[in-house]
Amino acid sequence: MAALSKAQIGPILAKQGILIAFAVFMIAFTIASPKFLSVDNVFSVVRSSAILGVMALGVTFVVISGNLDLSVGSMMSFSTIVVLDLHDKIGPFLAIPAMFAMTLALGAIIGFLVGYLRLNSLIVTLGMLSAIHGLTLTYSGGQNMDIADKEGTWFSVFGQGTALGIPVPILIFAALAAFLGLVLGKTAFGRKIYAVGGNDTAATFSGVRRARTVFNCYLISAACVATAGLIQASRSLGSQNTVGQGLELEVLAAVILGGASLLGGSGTIFKTVIGVLILGFIQNGLLLLGLQFYVQFVVTWVIIILAVWLDIAAKRGKLWSPIA
Amino acid sequence: MKIRTALAATTAILLAGVASAETMKIGITQNNVGVDSYQTTYEKAFIAAADANDAVETVVLDAGGDVARQIAQMEDLIQQEVDAIIIWPTNGEAVIPAVRKAHKAGIPVIVTNSNIAEQGFDFVKSFSGPDNITQGARSAEIMCDKFKDMGIENEAKVVHITGQPGYTTAIERAKGFEDRLPEVCPDVTIIDTQPGDWNREKSQQVMEAFLVKYDDIDGVYAGDDNMGVGALNAAKAAGRDGIIFVGATNFAVGYEAMAAGEYWGSIYQSPVDDAEAALQTAIDILSGKDVPFLNYFDTPKITQDNMGDFTKPVF
Repeated sequence: MAALSKAQIGPILAKQGILIAFAVFMIAFTIASPKFLSVDNVFSVVRSSAILGVMALGVTFVVISGNLDLSVGSMMSFSTIVVLDLHDKIGPFLAIPAMFAMTLALGAIIGFLVGYLRLNSLIVTLGMLSAIHGLTLTYSGGQNMDIADKEGTWFSVFGQGTALGIPVPILIFAALAAFLGLVLGKTAFGRKIYAVGGNDTAATFSGVRRARTVFNCYLISAACVATAGLIQASRSLGSQNTVGQGLELEVLAAVILGGASLLGGSGTIFKTVIGVLILGFIQNGLLLLGLQFYVQFVVTWVIIILAVWLDIAAKRGKLWSPIA
Repeated sequence: MKIRTALAATTAILLAGVASAETMKIGITQNNVGVDSYQTTYEKAFIAAADANDAVETVVLDAGGDVARQIAQMEDLIQQEVDAIIIWPTNGEAVIPAVRKAHKAGIPVIVTNSNIAEQGFDFVKSFSGPDNITQGARSAEIMCDKFKDMGIENEAKVVHITGQPGYTTAIERAKGFEDRLPEVCPDVTIIDTQPGDWNREKSQQVMEAFLVKYDDIDGVYAGDDNMGVGALNAAKAAGRDGIIFVGATNFAVGYEAMAAGEYWGSIYQSPVDDAEAALQTAIDILSGKDVPFLNYFDTPKITQDNMGDFTKPVF
């Protein structure tokens, strides 16, 4: 790849390495399985990726600000269980805002601890992962939560509805991605996040309020988690307490795969979306190929490493590291 | 040395026997109460059964899914000199040393719900729990019988959604199903098998992919009802009617879907029976009765036809 007239296409490749990796996989899977690119399948993959994707949008903010959020999986379980429970108790109209308020409160606690008290985000959110899990179990008494009248509620629209022929979860994901992409890329607030993540001392001396910026990132992350919980709850109208378990790592993988740096200061919403789609289509593609599932774990890893390598190789214009 | 140990063990058993003439003190360390409805209901039923029996005093502990905590709890129970210990293993391998320690201290150990690994069997008096291989086999029979009713037993295609890879329950149910189905319905084919990880959402995603991949699916076997209902949701969303869904561990959601005529059958496994069987096994052992090493409680078939005989599961 690097040998082809690098001078012209080099800069383009360098910016879009991950997009190229995505295209390569899509073409490979399409050749391997003719049903891969059917409209039904694409909708089905993007719809089920939407939950992970919405969460990844929020985590992108947190990661760019130079922090981590490992609590999003158990926070999503919490939102899902709470909104399902309140649905039958106070009705969906009140249940949704109540659930958002409770989830945002959790985000505010994390934002306060990491932003204003400057505690290590890994420790804080790892602790929150199990604390929120405990909170969810206490709330539900360990029972599965199900909506009693599954046929008669309009609540199912967020997870199962379609508008203009497109599944609603996809529309929510797309709209949120567009909005948050603008916030991150085109506003002063967005630039402050990059500044804080890139060099927080310099940012502080330039008059950026670091604590407040970090706090707001966690609020955005919590709002995204609440939205994901809403889609999840509406999709199955019932849930286990552990529905989001393990999602935090998949979310983080999607964000990092998209090219955001764990050290903070870089990443974009668009690339996170690509990261999410790559993970979603890999999972689906391997299923369609009918690979034995023990093998799938290994193949998934190989594909992710390939994607990261293609991305990096494109950036430096060489397949090998120049200083290896 | 060996004789001394044996003597100590015998004395301890004798002492335990004497103590049991008045009240039996039975300790239980559970896997992870509260993580799912089954385990929550199990604990409630266990405490209720123990309360109802004046001859029994219990120490009820929960390991919270943590192996280290469970081992510490085993040691506590040994220190407290309980007459018998019931353990719901957090991990079939890792708890063996603790089980061995209890065995050496002369305290009979009863394993409940999911068995420990075979190398620990020497230290265990009895396993009380469901027979997952039979459950898988019965699910195969339920599905085959239904196909015969429909007259498609010569052509039907089945997809199989298993529990979490590596879990004994998942492996045994899958084995029971896959061994039994060709015996009763030799012309039915299992066209694909993928894990749903005991998770409704994951199972729904797997089923969505199956529906895209296969234009013709007649039956779905899921390792439990939670996953079965996830698969059912996917089929309903895709507008694919006429698929026969069979699960295991009948959950309330599965029972409701059966009542609605959307879900064909499952295996009725009551956490109440599970808990009561474990307690009874411990009591029988302490009373000197002969108890089989694998002391299974019955988990009958439930389908739309006979569901009236069963109460709706509380979990």
